[in-house]
Amino acid sequence: MEIMDGSPKHVLSRYVEWVITIVVLVNCSAVVLDSIPEVHADYKDFFHELEFWSVMFFTLEYLLRVWSLGVKFKADEGGAWKGRKGYVFSPFGLIDFFATMPFYMHMFFPTLDLRILRVLRLLRILKLSKYNTALQDLFAAVHSERRAFGSAAFLLVIVSIVSASLMHFAEGHEQPEHFGSIPHSIYWAIITITSGYGNVEPVTKAGEIIALLTGFLGVCMAAIMTGIVASAFSNQMSRKKAAYLSQLRQVLDDGVITEAEQESLRRLQQQFRLSDSEVKAMIDEHNAEKSS
Amino acid sequence: MSEELAQPASNYQKIQRRVFEVLDGAVLDSTSKVVEIFIAGLVVANVVAIILESVQSLHDQYEQFFHVFDTFSVVVFSIEYVLRVWSYGRKYMGTEPGLAWRGRKEYLFSMFGMVDFFSTVPFYLQLIMPGADLRVLRMFRLLRIFKLSRYNSAMEDMFEAIKSERDSFSSALFLLLISCLLFSSLIYIIEGHDQPDVFPSIPAAMHWYILTIISGWGNVDPVTYFGVALVVVTQILAIALAAILTGVVATAYTAQVQRRESLYEMEVREVLSDGVVTEEEKQKLQNLQAKFGMSNEQVEAIARQVQSEKKLNN
Repeated sequence: MEIMDGSPKHVLSRYVEWVITIVVLVNCSAVVLDSIPEVHADYKDFFHELEFWSVMFFTLEYLLRVWSLGVKFKADEGGAWKGRKGYVFSPFGLIDFFATMPFYMHMFFPTLDLRILRVLRLLRILKLSKYNTALQDLFAAVHSERRAFGSAAFLLVIVSIVSASLMHFAEGHEQPEHFGSIPHSIYWAIITITSGYGNVEPVTKAGEIIALLTGFLGVCMAAIMTGIVASAFSNQMSRKKAAYLSQLRQVLDDGVITEAEQESLRRLQQQFRLSDSEVKAMIDEHNAEKSS
Repeated sequence: MSEELAQPASNYQKIQRRVFEVLDGAVLDSTSKVVEIFIAGLVVANVVAIILESVQSLHDQYEQFFHVFDTFSVVVFSIEYVLRVWSYGRKYMGTEPGLAWRGRKEYLFSMFGMVDFFSTVPFYLQLIMPGADLRVLRMFRLLRIFKLSRYNSAMEDMFEAIKSERDSFSSALFLLLISCLLFSSLIYIIEGHDQPDVFPSIPAAMHWYILTIISGWGNVDPVTYFGVALVVVTQILAIALAAILTGVVATAYTAQVQRRESLYEMEVREVLSDGVVTEEEKQKLQNLQAKFGMSNEQVEAIARQVQSEKKLNN
C-alpha cells in the first residue's frame, strides 16, 4: 500500500511512479498518433498490441490499489472496506476505473462507437495528476477564491448577453446570417471578449462602436481574472509560510531540537515547497526576535 | 600550489587576484567598470555588425571591414576567456588550499563560461575547416549577445524567480498539456466528420487548440452545436490559463522581493547590533544593495525601521 500511495517517499515507490508515468505518456501519444489516417493504416496491429498490454498493466495497477488500500484504516476504524471505498469513489479512483474500462466494454459490446472509447482512453493522462502536488495546490488556490471567480463569470455572462443583444439590434437586419438571433450573437460576443478578435466584421457605425467596446471589456475581463489568480496564489503562499512559522516557533521555543522535530519540519517544508533560503530567513528572523 | 600558499603573496598571485577582481566585478572599482563597459560595447558593436552583414548590399561593400572587425573581436574575446579561466583559479584560494581548479571548473561549466566558449570557438573552427556552413557560424556569433547578461542582474532575477516557482510553472504547463489532449480529441470527435479538411486527425486539432490558447482565436468556425459550446469553453480556458501563468509570475516576483528585503534587513540588524558602523560594513551594505537592485528609499525605510525597533527595545 505504501508503494502505491507513495506517502512515505522511498526508492521503490519512486520507480513505480516513473513506470506508470511513462506508460501513460506512451499511451496518450499512441492515441494521438493513431488518429492520423496514414499512421493508422501502417501501424494498426502495433497500436492494438500496445493497447492490449497497457490495459493489462492498468488493470493490474487498479486491482493492486483496491486490494492494498484495504490496509489504510485499522479494523476498529472501519475495517478493510473503508479504505477501498474511499479510493474507488475518489476522483483518482474514478479516473483509474474509466480509463481502463472501455477496453472491456468494447469486448462485450463490439458495436459501440469507437471514437467515444478513444476519448475515454485519453482520460489516462489525468492519472498523472496524482503525482503533481503543485497542480493540487493550484486547484486549492482557485477553490479558495471561488467566490471571486464566480463573480467574474457572472460579469462575463452579463457582458456577453448585453453586447450580444445590442449587436443583434444594430446588425440583425444587415447580417442576418451572423446576428439573426441573440444566441447567434452571443457566440460572436464570447469570441470577441475572449480573443479580442471578432469572427464577424460589423458593417454599421453603431455595430462598430459596440464591437470596440466589447473588445475593450474583454481586456478588462482578462485583467480581472489575472488579478484574482495572482492574489489567490500569494494568499496561499503567505498562509503556508504562516503555518510553517508557527510550527517553527513551537519547535524552537523549548530551545532543543530533537531528531523527530527536525524530521517533521523537513517534511512540512517539502510539502509546502518552501526553498531552503526562505526557511533560513525565517529561522534567522525568529532568532532575532527572541534575542531582542 | 600549497607551497605557494604558505609564502606571503608573490607577485604572480597578486596579479592573478587582481585580474580576478577586475573580471569578476565583485569589488566595485573604476578599472573593472572600464573593462565591463569595454566588453559590453564590443558585444553590442558585434551584434550590430552581424545584423548589418546580413544585408546583401552592405555585405558586398564593406566585406573587408567586417572581416577585420570580427577578427579583432575574436582576439579580444579569446584573451578575455583565457584570462578568466586563468584567474578564476584564485576564487577559492586563500580560504582553503588546493582549490585552484574548483573556481576554474565552476566557471567553465557555468552558463556564462559556456556562452563565452561557444561564441568564440566557431571562428577557430572555421580556420581549421574552411568548408563549414557560414550561416551556422553566424548563429553562433549571435550568442555573443548573451555575454551581456552577465552584467544584467534583472535577467538573473527573472530566472531565479522562475526557478523558485518551478513547481507552479510545471503544473501550469501540465494543465496546458492535459487540456490540449482532451480538448483537441473532443473537437476531433465532434467536428472531425463535418470538417475533415480542418480536423483530419488529433495532431491537426492540437494545432487548432494551441492557436486558440495563444492568440485567443483558432481561425475555425465550428458547424455543430457541440462544437460551438466546445469552442466557447476553449476560449474561456485560454484566458484562465493566461491568468494562471501571469499570477504565478507575479507571485514569484513578489516573493523574491520580500526575500531580498528580509535578507538585507538581517544584514542591517547585524551591522547595527554593536552600535558602531565601520567603513567596511558600510561598503558591504552598499554592495548588497547594488546586488539586489534595491532603491535608496527602500534601504532608508528598512534602516529607519530597524533603528526605531532598537530604540523601543532600549
